[in-house]
Amino acid sequence: MTFFQNPEFGDRIITLMAALVLVLQIAAVGQRWLVSSIRIFAVQSFLLATIAGVIAYFNHASHIYVVAFLTLFLKAVLLPWLLEGLVERIGIRREIEPLINAPLSILIAGCLTLVGYVVAESFYHPEETSVRAALGHNTLGVAIALFLIGFFTMLNRRKALSQVMGLLSLENGLFLAAISLTYGMPLIVELGIFFDVLVAVMVLGILAFRIREAFDSMDVSKLRKLRE
Amino acid sequence: MNTFPVGTLFALSLTAYLGGAFACLASWQKPTLCRYICCGSALAGAVFGGLAAVLGILQGTPLLWSFSSGIPLFTYSFEYDALAGFFNLTLAILAGAVSLYSFSYLREFEGKRNIGFFGFLFLLLLLSLIVVFTAANAFLFLMGWEVMALVAYGLVTFYHEDRETRRAGLLYIVMAHIDAGCLLLGFALLMQVSGSADFASFRTAAAQLSSGQQATAFVFFFLGFGIKAGIIPFHIWLPAAHPVAPSNISALLSGIVLKAGIYGMARIFLGGLGVLPSWAGLLVLIVGVASAVLGVLYALMEHDIKRLLAYHSIENIGIILIGLGATLVFRAAGHPQLAAVALIAAIFHTLNHAIFKCLLFLGAGSVLHSTGTRNMEEMGGLIRPMPVTAFCFLIGAVAISGLPPLNGFVSEWLTYQSLLAGYGATGGLTRILFPLAGSMLALTGALAAACFVKAFAITFLALPRGAESRQVHEAPRSMLVGMGWLTVACLALGLGATWFLPVFDTLTEQLLGQRVGTNLISGHGLVLSAGMPHGGTVSTAVIGFGLVILLIPSVLLVSNGARRFAWKRGPTWDCGLPGLSEENEYTATAFSKPLRMIFSALYQPRREIQAVFDVSPYFPKEIRFESEIEPTFEKRLYIPLRDLLLRFAIRMRPIQAGSIHAYLAYIFVTLILLLLFGVRP
Repeated sequence: MTFFQNPEFGDRIITLMAALVLVLQIAAVGQRWLVSSIRIFAVQSFLLATIAGVIAYFNHASHIYVVAFLTLFLKAVLLPWLLEGLVERIGIRREIEPLINAPLSILIAGCLTLVGYVVAESFYHPEETSVRAALGHNTLGVAIALFLIGFFTMLNRRKALSQVMGLLSLENGLFLAAISLTYGMPLIVELGIFFDVLVAVMVLGILAFRIREAFDSMDVSKLRKLRE
Repeated sequence: MNTFPVGTLFALSLTAYLGGAFACLASWQKPTLCRYICCGSALAGAVFGGLAAVLGILQGTPLLWSFSSGIPLFTYSFEYDALAGFFNLTLAILAGAVSLYSFSYLREFEGKRNIGFFGFLFLLLLLSLIVVFTAANAFLFLMGWEVMALVAYGLVTFYHEDRETRRAGLLYIVMAHIDAGCLLLGFALLMQVSGSADFASFRTAAAQLSSGQQATAFVFFFLGFGIKAGIIPFHIWLPAAHPVAPSNISALLSGIVLKAGIYGMARIFLGGLGVLPSWAGLLVLIVGVASAVLGVLYALMEHDIKRLLAYHSIENIGIILIGLGATLVFRAAGHPQLAAVALIAAIFHTLNHAIFKCLLFLGAGSVLHSTGTRNMEEMGGLIRPMPVTAFCFLIGAVAISGLPPLNGFVSEWLTYQSLLAGYGATGGLTRILFPLAGSMLALTGALAAACFVKAFAITFLALPRGAESRQVHEAPRSMLVGMGWLTVACLALGLGATWFLPVFDTLTEQLLGQRVGTNLISGHGLVLSAGMPHGGTVSTAVIGFGLVILLIPSVLLVSNGARRFAWKRGPTWDCGLPGLSEENEYTATAFSKPLRMIFSALYQPRREIQAVFDVSPYFPKEIRFESEIEPTFEKRLYIPLRDLLLRFAIRMRPIQAGSIHAYLAYIFVTLILLLLFGVRP
């Protein structure tokens, strides 16, 4: 067995990548500039695509290559490009004030990471440890943390567009969980999810545009007015 | 397994419906072409589906096709056994008739409405019904079920300009989702026990169900399928939704979509739930009796011809449930032979009701097509301009009233026989229920006959009442062919019942392990017997022959008399009040008055008379009469329920802050709590 076929090595790479993804996510929480959070998302997606590629290589699962390629194309290239165009058109480059200030947000993100690991721990059964299970164990915590932090970002932001960023990193968390636990769902399900995300971004983009037109602002708190 | 004839025909029929649906949608800009595609592919699908059903019933061994979908628990599994075959046969007979009928019926849509969209929905409805009738996987079944509900909603609200139509559609879709929810819960319970969503695994796991689980699942399924079938008290959507749809669709909705509920009950109660205790069968029986009696009583008070027919669907669903309930009771009590007879009665009545109800709705559609009104009080005298429609409607009316020698009589007679046998087959107090149910069924039959005397006579006989019915014309030929085909089916299944009944052997053998077909036939294949000691016998063929014999002298007398006497036409005696017009004819309201008085406790009739006097109080110039009956179920059950729901909703309002952040926070907190809750081992 050569070095490049050793599953242990694959596990290390995946863990490293997952850690990087998590660090980027926490960095995104403190971010105020929209463009930089879009770029962080692009890098994150690139790392996810790499993880998928590594998993495909070590498990000889050819359909995951398709997934990896799609991730690379859609999430690391197409979506960031679309979103940056949108930012350009709307002309809003930074989030004025998140609901919770940056240091506290990062602290909360840390706590959520903890929750993620606690939850992932319950899926880990040492008695049936194989390389596969161990690998899942490491990345699942990151995935759940990613999901929760993404959700928290949505809660914390006022602008519709920065909420979209939260949704996208939430979806990245789901993707990581799915790919690390099950080594890829059936291709048709993956394709469905990709399509879903694409449509969601389109719809939210249009919505953000409309909200700005109707309220002269992208602050979703103003949507409260619709109730009256 | 060699699936050559049945499987291929089944696939061809699916392809015809699916391909036709999309071809319709693609060609919506060319209405005439679209009409040809719609009716042609429906007819092709019906022919293939009918052949598949006949072969599927006759070959006796269930066929199973299963394809993996890659999604856990969900497989594309189809099972073609005798039960599926019978429902597919029913579907094919109706689909053929309706597609022929629609060929002319849709012509008036040209240039006014989108035939492409109509055809798309119509063909998808047929497709989803086939899927429901053959699915062998809970998720596939629910998928077909949901498509059926949504497509039917699109068709019910096809005349969406009317406020009444939109309200009926809303009521329908709400009820349809309550029933889908009940089914989902029922299937979830079975899946939990069996670990798979395939019907076959439910059957093998049925023995592991605890009695509590079995009872809960039964209640969910009975509610779910019962709402779809329109049992009382969940029937209120049915008389609202069926009349407002285009008439060819009303025919399908009442004819076969309701039967999806019956199919589900037969499939699950006789398969997936194991042997149900006898209380379950008694519950089905009692609900059946209530639906039959109340359905026909409400039908009697209707003057809207399509609503009247819709109420009769409730009645007939009740009769089918009486048969099905008796089957369950007999099976629980260990009388498989009796159970088989009751099951034959139920399934045969399903087929019969589908045929004559479809026929009646198509007839009502022809009347509506040429008079433009659904109100019977404005019709009258239609037998002269529309003789063929009148004849077909008459045959349907005789069949639905359960009069010999037509098909409705045979299945109702079998239901009576099994109910009478039930008295000897069960013990304790429950045995009294059987003759009681039998007498209620007799009451239902008599009332149904009264109702159809009214429906036929007020619509087709006497002189035309309103301006609408004076310039009517016979329906176009394709509509007559559609109705004629069903009329022939009514006659054939009635007169030829003894030749048809042995076909049910494969059905009863697969579901109950019994073959009783030969017991039901005696007298060289001419006499129908109840298949049990001290049971009755009857022969529709002989009755039919006797009727023809009796007809000969009266025909001779009339034709002879026509030569001997001179005919004279004159006005009716007007009691000395000159100036009576056609509007003064005996009305439907007047006809049903005695029954309104007898059953006034149920109807709570309210009437109002306003008279305007000129000089003397004995000679009113003008009288306004208004009469209505109380909609008991709406008033006593649904309106309080709705108010309760609304009050609850108002209570819940403060948490609906209208702020996206608040909603996100709710979800977030719930998620974290659930995650942490799940962690605790």
